[in-house]
Amino acid sequence: MSQDLESQLRTALRPIAPSAALEKKLIASVTEKPAFAPQTGRFLRRGARSRAGWLSIGAAACLLIAVGMQHRLRERDERANGLEARRQVVEALRMTSQKLDLAYEIVKSQSTALDDGNPGA
Amino acid sequence: MRHRGINMRHANIVMLLALLTPAMAWAAPNPRLVLPDFTALAHRATQAVTITLDSSLLSLAGRFLDGNDPQDAAAKEVIKGLQGIYVRSYTFEQDLAFSEADIDAVRKQLAAPGWSRLVETHSKKTHANVDIYIMVDNKQAIGLAVIASEPRQFTIVNIVGAIDLEKLHKLEGQFGVPKLDIDAAKTPH
Repeated sequence: MSQDLESQLRTALRPIAPSAALEKKLIASVTEKPAFAPQTGRFLRRGARSRAGWLSIGAAACLLIAVGMQHRLRERDERANGLEARRQVVEALRMTSQKLDLAYEIVKSQSTALDDGNPGA
Repeated sequence: MRHRGINMRHANIVMLLALLTPAMAWAAPNPRLVLPDFTALAHRATQAVTITLDSSLLSLAGRFLDGNDPQDAAAKEVIKGLQGIYVRSYTFEQDLAFSEADIDAVRKQLAAPGWSRLVETHSKKTHANVDIYIMVDNKQAIGLAVIASEPRQFTIVNIVGAIDLEKLHKLEGQFGVPKLDIDAAKTPH
């Protein structure tokens, strides 16, 4: 029984020479291939061109981002400097006013003392 | 021949102007004080304030002062037309930690022509002295200097530029500036 099966399998899987039609088809397909080659080249060239395009777009985007970041950093620095300058202006005016106030107080107290000392004046 | 004479005369005038310009610049009153290096004093001080604002920094600060805020608006009005604000202030832990010699270099500059003492105050009670000097050019105050010495603090303020004293008056309530009766307090230099 098993020998039968084995012989059947061997018969089924035996090497068979290809038919003439198949051979023709294969030869035809191989000879047609060069016809596709120029198309592949064009495709490759187009791909390279597209890659170059993407690269330049990427470079332009990078440049834009760098310029934007530089602008933003400069703005941030300017803002920090401006706020510091503002703080210093307020501080300077506060100190100036404090000293003017002190002078005023001294003058006022002296004039009050003079008035008290000379009620007839 | 005549052309040559005119050219020579022009050259002489140009040369004369070139020689006179620096001299004229030197002779023009300069409201900017040369503040001494107070590094040694700053080391002894518990608090040191050094403010140096030139015209570019003042205009930058002006852009960041909010016109809707009363204090900022007042400050903005005051710094309009100013070319510089310079403040040196030192606070000490002990009385009389500084000497008058430290301020002398500034006082000498204020003795120069152009400056006049507006107010000179000495308080026996608090031992505080405040001197206010002003430089006027063409009826316009172009410089202000305040020297205030208290037992534990000494402050020098130098404001350079077109100072509107009225605007300083307007600071009242904003920075605690009272209405200063400058004419009444004026003393001869």
